Amino acid sequence: MKPAHRAKLRRFSVIFFWVLFIALAVMFFTNDFGIVDIHKTSIIVAIGIDSTENEVQVTAQLAVPKPSQSGDNIEYTEVQGSGETVADALNEINAKTGFYPQLQFCKLVLLGDSCKDKNIFRLMGCLYRKNYSELTALVAMCDGKASEILSMPTVTSDMTTTVIQRALADELEKSANVSSANLKDIALSNFSRSKACYMPFIEANVQGTSEEGGNGDNVGGDEPQSGGSSGGGDSSGSGGGSSSGEGGGEGGSEGGSGSSSSGSGSSGGEQKPVEFTARKTAIFNNGKFAGILNEQQAFALNILEYDIHLAVLPCDTSEYHYTIGLGKSKSAIDVKIVDGIPEVTLKFSAYGQVVGIKKPVEPKETTKDDKLSPEIIEAANKTVEERFASLMDISRQTDCDFLGIKESIFKYHHRYFEGLEEDALQKMRVKYKVDVKSRN
Amino acid sequence: MKISVRQICFILIFYTAASKLLLYPTMLSGYSGRDLLFSALINFVVQGIVIWAVAYLSSKTDKTLFELLKDTFGEIPARIIFGFFAAFFIVCTIIPLFEQKLYVHAIFYDTVPTVLVFLPIFIFTIYAGSKSFKNIGCCADVCMPIFLISMAFIFFMSFTEVDFSNLLPVLKTPASKVFGGSMKTALNFLEPAYLLMFLGHFRYKKGDAAKMTLSYAAGAAIVLLFLAVFYGIYGELTYSRQFAISKTSLYFSAIDVIGRIDLYTLYALEVVMLFALVLNIQLAVQCLIKCTGWDCPEILSVAVNAVLATILLTCNHFFTALQSFFANWLWIVVVIFAVIAPLSAWALKRRER
Repeated sequence: MKPAHRAKLRRFSVIFFWVLFIALAVMFFTNDFGIVDIHKTSIIVAIGIDSTENEVQVTAQLAVPKPSQSGDNIEYTEVQGSGETVADALNEINAKTGFYPQLQFCKLVLLGDSCKDKNIFRLMGCLYRKNYSELTALVAMCDGKASEILSMPTVTSDMTTTVIQRALADELEKSANVSSANLKDIALSNFSRSKACYMPFIEANVQGTSEEGGNGDNVGGDEPQSGGSSGGGDSSGSGGGSSSGEGGGEGGSEGGSGSSSSGSGSSGGEQKPVEFTARKTAIFNNGKFAGILNEQQAFALNILEYDIHLAVLPCDTSEYHYTIGLGKSKSAIDVKIVDGIPEVTLKFSAYGQVVGIKKPVEPKETTKDDKLSPEIIEAANKTVEERFASLMDISRQTDCDFLGIKESIFKYHHRYFEGLEEDALQKMRVKYKVDVKSRN
Repeated sequence: MKISVRQICFILIFYTAASKLLLYPTMLSGYSGRDLLFSALINFVVQGIVIWAVAYLSSKTDKTLFELLKDTFGEIPARIIFGFFAAFFIVCTIIPLFEQKLYVHAIFYDTVPTVLVFLPIFIFTIYAGSKSFKNIGCCADVCMPIFLISMAFIFFMSFTEVDFSNLLPVLKTPASKVFGGSMKTALNFLEPAYLLMFLGHFRYKKGDAAKMTLSYAAGAAIVLLFLAVFYGIYGELTYSRQFAISKTSLYFSAIDVIGRIDLYTLYALEVVMLFALVLNIQLAVQCLIKCTGWDCPEILSVAVNAVLATILLTCNHFFTALQSFFANWLWIVVVIFAVIAPLSAWALKRRER
């Protein structure tokens, strides 16, 4: 090419790029490239899954942004859909809300107790299949219907989801008060050799009430009365303040088109505000519900699985009832194969201090709280061991490998895996190495 | 001399890594499962050897590849061979271009998945494609700090969730699958072909071959570490997690509190990924200049990008089929152009230094 032509071309290129730049700028400032207007949409922040005989019913809690001068610019509402699969139900919800059919902003997946009879891997499979949703959403099972829990009024926030998330927060995980699980954990257990998983079990209590007894472990209160299910349909009427769908949702059993209802979750009328606790843990074997770990068993599970910053352990010596604060914990589940038999060692060590004694406080003695007497240490070790033993018992009884023993054998003792795949939990010998140390 | 050895080293570190962070980890885990590191290692070792061979060849001659071919076979065959190389680089741009399109839609514009949002990328690729080797080197200089800082943040945000035991037990995947994984992802390994194109465009000094090979090893180490982190986080789920680089930092605890701060690093890495992508177009244009003898990179860049845009628009809904076809068959092309051709360059007539 001649230099003159080349110079012309260069000049033309500059003009060409300027024209393009201006055109793009015009497109951008006139239509935002068609970007969705946040005020015209609604975002699914949580879903509740309930199961009927043949269908699943999904209740989505939606955040609907509203222009507002007062600062309170988001409204929350619930919308229901149903179908053969969760994806069918979500499709119905998406058809109603007009939102792009993905759950990128969903932070909570709540399973109603009706899902106990179903395979949760099948129910939730669509949530971790491909990129349908991020796997960071917390997963929990609740006592009662998920749709009712999601629409229950709470005092601390308009958004029930936020209150439930608080009950599952990282901070509670660090105090061994909750067994946290997210979609990734559930999905990984689906594909693991253990085929078992666990998730927190959420209970709603009337605000300001507390259950008595429990030797320091109970966190509970009066159960709320089921309110607002005026539709009367036992398969789908939405609870709480939601207005029920046509015919109470009975039609949901036919053809997958399903029942539906939508309405404000906070218009609950007579129902008392509730608070949520999640100190129990639901366990699943091969996707099927296998039982619920009580507070003590869940505590044992939590101190094994998480780094504990401050966990509270009630224990009894011959004299008094003590509450010990445990911190700086280290835990491990060691699996060895000895003579072809799995030998599982549950290890736990932590530093403890007295945080409560069932006797009047004497100021002189509080300075000794950081130093645990041998008797208290023995009592604390014994309590932890008892809880571990109880945890292993339920694992054996239900044949539910929620501690991942089979997965450990597969990874670290692969050649034994085939022989132990079926009955590893029944054959295993269990040892405990618990070492609670004095903080000072 | 148009490009420095330092810039080539940057290309071998950062473009090598940046071009393998989207669908490559997902695909590889699909083929090789938890032994994906071994599949990747096979490719890196083979390509590393070829890179050393080409780098060492540059110590023996000052000629460019075109000059070597012309001296050996004559001008017309040399032009034809460069035509094939141009086609090779264009073909190798198709899947990365689709990857970028899908990635941008899924991560940055997840509510507006239209092809129109992505098309403005061609303004950049046309412009960058018309630039010379000197420009390629400058881009590598610019990308170096961006990549290093972004990747450090991504690793930092990812490590809390990693469970490296997900990679156990090792080497229990059938060898056929491990080698199959290497073969079917070979399309991501073009670096020796890049180096072949740079031949004669940089001044070789003693030890440069080792520097280049070590740079490639550093790029490989970054990719292998990322693969281990990605598989360590998602285990058997890895195959269902697309756009790996955007998925590893999601569990960083601060994200819950202050939002997706990892997106800043992803935006920055996107810049490096685009430069890595556009390198194929730049080299295709340079090959076409040699092939046609028409020194007009602007128009050739428009032509190359027009071909790519046409493929993008016509195959918009057939990405999976296209990806499967490329994985099953295009490894042969990669073996020819990125392994056999660079090694064969040793057989060309060269004037001793």
